[in-house]
Amino acid sequence: MMEQEIQVDQALQNIQKLVGNIEKVIRGKKEQVQLILTALLAKGHILIEDNPGTGKTVMAKTLAHSIAGRVGDGGVVFKRIQFTPDLLPMDLIGSHIFDDAKKDFLFKKGPLFCNVLLADEINRASPKVQSALLECMAEHQITIGETTYPLEKMFFTIATQNPVEMEGTYPLPAAQLDRFFLKIRFGYVDEATELDIYKDYLGIQNNLDHTEQVLSMNEILFLQQQTQEVYIHDEIIAAVRNIVWETRRQADIVLGASTRSGITFLKCLKAFALVNGRTYVTEDDLQKITSPVLDHRLIYRNREAKQKALSAILDKEMDRLAKLNIAKKNS
Amino acid sequence: MALTSIHSTRKLVAQILLLGFPTIALGLYFLYTANSYYEVLQNKWQLQGLVFSIGCIASLTFYSYRFRFLTTVAALVLFIVLLYTILNNVVVGEFETPLLSINFRIFSTLFLLGWLIGWGFARSRYFTIFWSLLLLTAQVLIVSGISDISVKAILISFVPVLVYAFYIIYTSELIRNMNEHEGKFGWFIVKRLLGFGILIAVMLLAVFTTFQKEFQGLERDWGKGQGKGKGQGASESMTKENKDGTVSNKESMQVTGSLQKRTNRLVFVARLDNYMEGGMTPNPLYFTTYYYTKFDTVTQTFETDPAMPKSDLFRPDPSTIPLYFAKTDSSAITNTMATLKRKVVNAEVYSVNLAPTEFLAPSTAFFCQPISVDKDFRSQYRSAYRAKMWVSELNSAYFVYNPAGNFMLENFQQSRFEELRKAGSYDSIDRQFMDYYTFMPGNEEYKRIKELAVQITKDAVTPVDKMIAIRDYFLGQDEYGQPLFKYSDNPGIPGLPSASKLNYFLFENRKGYCAYFAGATLFMLRALGIPSRITAGFLTVDRSTKNPGWYWFYEDQAHAWVQLYFPGYGWIDFDTTVPDEGAQQSPQPDQTPPLNMQQAYFVANGKVASVDTIKKMMQLQVDKLLYHDKELNPDKTTSLTLDLSIATVIRDSGAVSIGELKKGMDVVAVSYVESIKELPPLPNDNFRSIIEKLPNPVPIDEIKIMEQREKEKVSPQLEEEKKSLSWWQIMWIGIGIIVGFIVLLFAAPYLLWCYYNMKAKQNADPKTKAYRVNRASMFYLNQVGWARTNLGPFEYADSIDKRFGTSLSGFNNAYQKIKYSTQPLTGQETNTITGFYPGFIRQVRKLLPFKMRFSRFLNLYHTIHFFTQPKTNR
Repeated sequence: MMEQEIQVDQALQNIQKLVGNIEKVIRGKKEQVQLILTALLAKGHILIEDNPGTGKTVMAKTLAHSIAGRVGDGGVVFKRIQFTPDLLPMDLIGSHIFDDAKKDFLFKKGPLFCNVLLADEINRASPKVQSALLECMAEHQITIGETTYPLEKMFFTIATQNPVEMEGTYPLPAAQLDRFFLKIRFGYVDEATELDIYKDYLGIQNNLDHTEQVLSMNEILFLQQQTQEVYIHDEIIAAVRNIVWETRRQADIVLGASTRSGITFLKCLKAFALVNGRTYVTEDDLQKITSPVLDHRLIYRNREAKQKALSAILDKEMDRLAKLNIAKKNS
Repeated sequence: MALTSIHSTRKLVAQILLLGFPTIALGLYFLYTANSYYEVLQNKWQLQGLVFSIGCIASLTFYSYRFRFLTTVAALVLFIVLLYTILNNVVVGEFETPLLSINFRIFSTLFLLGWLIGWGFARSRYFTIFWSLLLLTAQVLIVSGISDISVKAILISFVPVLVYAFYIIYTSELIRNMNEHEGKFGWFIVKRLLGFGILIAVMLLAVFTTFQKEFQGLERDWGKGQGKGKGQGASESMTKENKDGTVSNKESMQVTGSLQKRTNRLVFVARLDNYMEGGMTPNPLYFTTYYYTKFDTVTQTFETDPAMPKSDLFRPDPSTIPLYFAKTDSSAITNTMATLKRKVVNAEVYSVNLAPTEFLAPSTAFFCQPISVDKDFRSQYRSAYRAKMWVSELNSAYFVYNPAGNFMLENFQQSRFEELRKAGSYDSIDRQFMDYYTFMPGNEEYKRIKELAVQITKDAVTPVDKMIAIRDYFLGQDEYGQPLFKYSDNPGIPGLPSASKLNYFLFENRKGYCAYFAGATLFMLRALGIPSRITAGFLTVDRSTKNPGWYWFYEDQAHAWVQLYFPGYGWIDFDTTVPDEGAQQSPQPDQTPPLNMQQAYFVANGKVASVDTIKKMMQLQVDKLLYHDKELNPDKTTSLTLDLSIATVIRDSGAVSIGELKKGMDVVAVSYVESIKELPPLPNDNFRSIIEKLPNPVPIDEIKIMEQREKEKVSPQLEEEKKSLSWWQIMWIGIGIIVGFIVLLFAAPYLLWCYYNMKAKQNADPKTKAYRVNRASMFYLNQVGWARTNLGPFEYADSIDKRFGTSLSGFNNAYQKIKYSTQPLTGQETNTITGFYPGFIRQVRKLLPFKMRFSRFLNLYHTIHFFTQPKTNR
């Protein structure tokens, strides 16, 4: 027991180190980094949506490098696929290639057989490629013909997409968006950080090339396991239930959150608490996680509702929690 | 242009239901009251209320869309003015047009008012405060104008407005912060409406229980289908109804827009030993209760004055005088200063609905003797008394009646006028007396009355001729041959509430009831230097041919007229009220008067020593004895045994059982027994010898329990104190209430803070302590302007720490841990929780100037937000 606690403490420290490490490269994006790690620890996948050039790819790369070494020496294998309209599913999964020597079809594994996958501009590919990827993400295995190939034990997808309004995109349907635990926006950095980046872009490039490896894959797997141990108070669970229910009741929300979303929500809450160095979930976690978890799963009546409806629900729940008289409850 | 709405339909519905309807209800109440005050409104309060509510709701709906206020209102006003001009120019008929245009003005004003209020509710956040203050100010002005001023009246008139003000401010803020996207909108509305309904019900219940008696009186009136059910203070009545349903005259008389006609109830029956020469033709006399000698110019009320010079008012309380014992006040006779044509007249008054404490008699009474009502008549008459009066022969009702064209009567009255013309001048009369009874307010409007009086009486020389000239002026005709003055119970009042109603009566309206005629006559007489006063009482009409000398008095006979002072003759009555053409006749008396009076031979007054209800015997400790009309007082304590076997026990309220007699009660025992009749007192008999002569036990026919008046004596005094509050005192009280209310309202945040602060400083287990500290800190920060809004606890704590250099984050971490985890706190965290608070508050205070903290603590909205949802700053 004692030993495990030390291990937990160690792992928690390592997470902070990891966040710090990534921050060296990606400036002013601490919250996003935390959310990406949350998705990783919750054994989910993350979708980053934003305009080109906001640092999505660099982010994914840095993360991969921080976990693994530069080369796949038993460490983490990082792959990147640039999605284009003419990409075919076999480009992802791999294909059977005829081996002259053995006179047989050999299965050549595609880029999906890795630990960290960066699926760049996912909405530029055709729907059949998208669904192939998303199915793998959900099933953790690939079936070709009669053979089923399991994916790596640690398989984490960072998908990026351009805003749906941009030309040349195939928007992901709601059912597929559901596969992503979190969807985050990157956004531009603030003015001061931007100036900082301009002044030091060479240093940043250097940092990217020499990213330290702070966490091993085993440690990640251990933390993923530890996520399940995070304590979550009944009131927080009730709050999650309330929020999910409220999304279904609201007139401005056409499609509310599902029960699966609620479970995902809880997993993400636990992971986020861990990322923040805590072994219990608080109101802050709820406040930070609600929108990334639920926003992309809901279909709103109009643009105004998209901006207001969810935050109104969250505010109400936060208010309830803030006023909770803990002294009364247990005595 | 596409119509875009400012807020959702739900908010609009909430505004209409929760703000609009209560306001309309209040508006209806005000309109209802105003309609009974102002005749120009023509008593169409339902229709006016409808117009007002349409304006209010239409405006609420209209301004929930993005319309500009100034342009739309300007357009609306323009439209109304145009419509008005068109209507005014279209000839519909001779009479309809002006009537229509007045109505149109009223309705359009109400519509615009409703429109403005609707706009205020829809658009302006501070409108509710402004509106509440406006209402309260209006209420102060209204209350300072009413006559029957008591703490009760003030409460009744202020409580609804105060409650409304509280409600409207709170609700508008609630709706402002309402979550429009919330699912349970219907429930939200239902909950509030229910709350509102319960509030109203509680208030009504409280009012009902407090004024149950008054309501019962009202119900009775309605049950008879004759009461008009007008609002209190809206109209005046010549009599007042007591709590037990009896009637008495009022100590003051206000000139108001309408006279409240009560039921035609029989008030009392009287026998008057006054006959014309020859002793056959009954000679009726007006019954007097009060003299109004003072006039309050602000409330336009005629009042009694206990300090009037040469007071000849005899006002005993018959219920406190033991049966058959008499109360006499000879000073009343001397104070009449009258010797000519005066005589003593006897009267007997049998009360039907007259208050037991009330005493009235014709002219100047000086003697009162309560008598017992014969058994057979006890169901009809509550009590009775005998009175003696010093009456002027010139005050016969036939002299006093306004002849109003009856030539026989007028000719008859000439003999009185001839007599009065002989009266001497006022030069020899005491100066103070003259000054008091000719006093007139110095205001400009009374000068007009004086001018009129001088003009009317320019040909008259003697005071009595001047009086006749004034009387004839009221009976005169205008250039079209129509009567100049008309009798009306609902004359209406001038448009301006403070304008002189007497001037309105004399110069414009020329309609009124007795108070108007008497009041106007009084001021005209006083303007001419003739000492005069108003008399209130009952008009006497001789209707009975069967029982000469008996008179029946109904409630609508309550009346007011004037008295003039003539040297040597004393106060002489004159009635200037013109006849009421539409008057309905009181029912003809059909009852039998209580004719067979019994002679009481033995009357004993004293305290009950003991009662034996089985043997029907009683021991009486005698205080006074009346034996064959001879009054005797005991030299030492004497106890008499009384036989009650045939006696009836009565109180003021009626006959009761013998069991009601309790030890220590003050009672009067009366005996009509023949055996005592046959034992007349001898000239040298004293108390002792009479007692010895009496049979033992003494057979008693009647026991009257004297009501304990001590308590009630206190309350009229109190009431008088209440009533003596002048209007400016009322205004100060009103302002005081408002200021107190406002101070309390603005002190509320600070008081709440004191409470939280105290709680936070108390020692408690870490969990409780943490909760209280958190609550207090949150309240304080919220109140000084750093509300949490939509930040998470950590972010918020961080931002506060950055601003104030505090360590809220540390506390917050510990607080979140104690709140959401099962892990034990570390020692440091426990220390944070216990020691964090005082330093934190000190630090925040240090960085905020006092002025800022002070002003922020006055901001009620911050407090309201603390308890409602935080506003979002997105």
